Amino acid sequence: VGLSGKFFKAKLQPSQNQSNQISEQQKGFLKESIQTNLDDNLTKLKDLLGNSSDVVFRTFILSGKRSIHLAVIYIDGLADSKAIQHFILESMMLKCEEKLQQSARADEFSIIKDFSITIGEIKTVNTWEDVSNSIMSGDSAVLIDGYAEAIITGTKGWQDRGVTEPTSQNIVRGPKDGFSETLRTNTALIRRRIRDVNLRVESKNVGTVTKTDIAVIYIEGIADPEIVKEVHSRIDKINIDAILESGYIEELIQDETYTPFPTVYSTERPDVIIANILEGRVGIVVDGTPFALSVPAIFTEFFHASEDYYQRADFSTLVRIVRLSSFLLSLLVPAAYIAVTTFHQEMLPTRLLISLAAAREGVPFPAIVEVLIMEITFEILREAGVRLPRAVGSAISIVGALVIGEAAVTAGLVSSAMVIVVSFTAITSFVIPAYNFTMATRMLRFVFIGLAATFGLYGIILGLMALVLHLCSLRSFGVPYMESFGPFNMEDQKDSLFRFPMKKMLTRPKLIGTTNKVRQTQVDQYEEKK
Amino acid sequence: MQKKFFLLVIITLYLFVLSGCWSSKEITELMIVTGMGIDRESDTGEYKVTLQIINPGEIASQTKTERLEVTTYQTTGKSIYEVMRRFSTEVPRKMYLSHIQLVIFGEELAKEGIGKSLDFISRNNEFRTDFFILVSKGSRAEDVLNVLTPTEASPSVSLYSSINVSEQIWAPTKGVHLDELLNTLVSDGKQPVLTGVKVSGDKDKGDEVSSLEQIKPAAITKITGFAAFNKDRLVGWLTEKESKGYNYIISNITSTVGTIPCEDGGIIALEVKKAKTELQSNIKSGKPSITIKTNIEADLGEIQCDMDLTKMSIIKQIEEDAGKQVQTLMEHSITKAKEEFKSDIFGFGEAIHRQHPKAWKKIKGNWEETFPDLEISFDINYDIRRLGTISDTFQKDIK
Repeated sequence: VGLSGKFFKAKLQPSQNQSNQISEQQKGFLKESIQTNLDDNLTKLKDLLGNSSDVVFRTFILSGKRSIHLAVIYIDGLADSKAIQHFILESMMLKCEEKLQQSARADEFSIIKDFSITIGEIKTVNTWEDVSNSIMSGDSAVLIDGYAEAIITGTKGWQDRGVTEPTSQNIVRGPKDGFSETLRTNTALIRRRIRDVNLRVESKNVGTVTKTDIAVIYIEGIADPEIVKEVHSRIDKINIDAILESGYIEELIQDETYTPFPTVYSTERPDVIIANILEGRVGIVVDGTPFALSVPAIFTEFFHASEDYYQRADFSTLVRIVRLSSFLLSLLVPAAYIAVTTFHQEMLPTRLLISLAAAREGVPFPAIVEVLIMEITFEILREAGVRLPRAVGSAISIVGALVIGEAAVTAGLVSSAMVIVVSFTAITSFVIPAYNFTMATRMLRFVFIGLAATFGLYGIILGLMALVLHLCSLRSFGVPYMESFGPFNMEDQKDSLFRFPMKKMLTRPKLIGTTNKVRQTQVDQYEEKK
Repeated sequence: MQKKFFLLVIITLYLFVLSGCWSSKEITELMIVTGMGIDRESDTGEYKVTLQIINPGEIASQTKTERLEVTTYQTTGKSIYEVMRRFSTEVPRKMYLSHIQLVIFGEELAKEGIGKSLDFISRNNEFRTDFFILVSKGSRAEDVLNVLTPTEASPSVSLYSSINVSEQIWAPTKGVHLDELLNTLVSDGKQPVLTGVKVSGDKDKGDEVSSLEQIKPAAITKITGFAAFNKDRLVGWLTEKESKGYNYIISNITSTVGTIPCEDGGIIALEVKKAKTELQSNIKSGKPSITIKTNIEADLGEIQCDMDLTKMSIIKQIEEDAGKQVQTLMEHSITKAKEEFKSDIFGFGEAIHRQHPKAWKKIKGNWEETFPDLEISFDINYDIRRLGTISDTFQKDIK
């Protein structure tokens, strides 16, 4: 793995890489300070932003002791035009002039800033870089003739999808709100549920062109400071032009690139992120996507659904066992079918063998070819179904069901036993709650099919051994991936394969919530009655 | 490091390509053999092997034709292994022996000795060890394999399950697996028995579909009493009663029903729930004797005579009668083994060997001669536990 890392390491140096993005001239200009002359400033800014139709330059004049030329600059669509109209333009034009004329002070800039702009978030900047960044993020800049400073007012207000039900992780019992594409909405969803002064929402700006806002969220005193530091340093090391989705961040900060297993947890559900933060993990919310990340991620986490904690403990344990066995089944069933039917027929009960032989009679392909045909067909159907427009989707599923289920068997190309194997495998792969984890099983399934076809059960066992070794070698932000199994940890069995009753879940995961271990103290609800 | 890693990857890839799928065999390339019959041709002295195979295409319901679900193939040869290979000249696929349910020896061959033909069966790696070994009574092995069965597609599978079921609930039956047979063959204090099977009905019509087209098939296969062996040679047959006695002695009763007559000519049926027998050997001045200690627990299942079951003494009486009857059963089979077979099929020798190893060393040389004179005593404890849902019978009240 280290080798391939070297192999793929880009020869391009960051400075060369970015030369086409921002010209040296622009770079120099951005560092410059604002001038006092408004006309000069506006020309420069127009020059910088080019001929973009969505940038609004509103100039107007206030008559104070002298006539003051002002300009409000914002981006149409990103900024809330009503707020600009009411709390900047209206309040300045209608209520400010009097103040300007009466005021003894000559400093018109601070009068306008302190008395007339009726907007909560406000700051003063003096470089073009700050001005342009603020405008791009939806704020508006107020430039006043004669002052080498700009007032930035928080007028962010673009069209938002709103808080809707998550589509990728459905739930029967539990909160139905999901993250949306706006960072602020998402952090608010988290903050709303954790009313603790120690909740930290630390913002960062990643992507040299997109300048995407991301927030690192954790609880001071619960999260391991080492992990928080590591998250910060890994994000800071990112030097890329664009972050379009949290998947970019996930790939760029994960410990191990060459593994099919995800080592960063991603979810659309605020309650999951909050639960993870409370266990001592660090959440990463990225602007522009409803998928938030949490690290460190461990193997068992991907088999947990938030619902596990909202319903009875005994049932959750049962469901988790079902999920884990589904994982193994979806990984191994086609492989085991091949191994048993082509190498180890003596292992089957006689009647089963006769039934299998009857089903396979007349199929012209060896079992491996049959399995590959069906598995690949299924992958094609699945891929087609995911991206098709909804109207065409049903057509595909009908054709797919007919092709796989009926015609292929009737034509004698595949056996009906094979159809059962593939459909069963397909169903089991949907059981795991984390979608990105099922991709691992989808890929590895083919590896196991190959092993089974060449070495039989022997190959499957070898493959499983290699898989376990690989899983044990993985780490996520320094935490062993197989935490609670390898290294074995008695205490954490409460919430890995099992889900103990809430009264018994007293501590945080041992290797994650190290700084503040205790979640609750044991209380006997019926003490007094005794 | 880099070079080594690449080398490792390449070697691993070679492993896949070079090994290929060398030991793989597709199901569709196999003939699943479910039954094997071994006879000896009396004129040439060659083995005649009959294999009963499954015809999978006929079992799949969609593509049913007029052909049968099972077929038998026969070939002769000097060694069984040779015969197995010769089958390839008649059969389009490889004979697959792992799912054999039954190996049947013809009565004639069994009389000459089955030892030589067992070698192939125990040596070949395809055989599992969970098939039953049988001897056909009054016919050749091929006749048994050529009888179609009405309920199960494969006659061998049908016979196999029949032995399994019968062993559980019917005392005179016992299935013998290969390892058990080999163990008793080589031990010197016990002689083997094998399950007997016979064709009842018209055996010439048993292989025709028309046999199954009537409510009562023209011929059926039936499990009979044990075939008793001395060494590897068949020496005689036990009747149903004697087989039952045999199973009581070797403690192989799981559950069965026994009947005893009562005074006024009726019948009492007892369901044996538990029967445990211990063989106790004694050596008195160099002379061995055996005590058969049997504990039987039974429920009263049916009573056809006027008896007051609420009385303890009556129950005691029934217990005693039933115990005596079991003793008679045992005595019958022992007498037959002693006088007719001169073969210690019960393993009395083994019991002496286990309990008195030193004395056994002296006896074992001429055990075959001493066995018929072996002194045998009985200690039977019969226990009736439950009377069912009614205690006293209502029959005396019927007017």
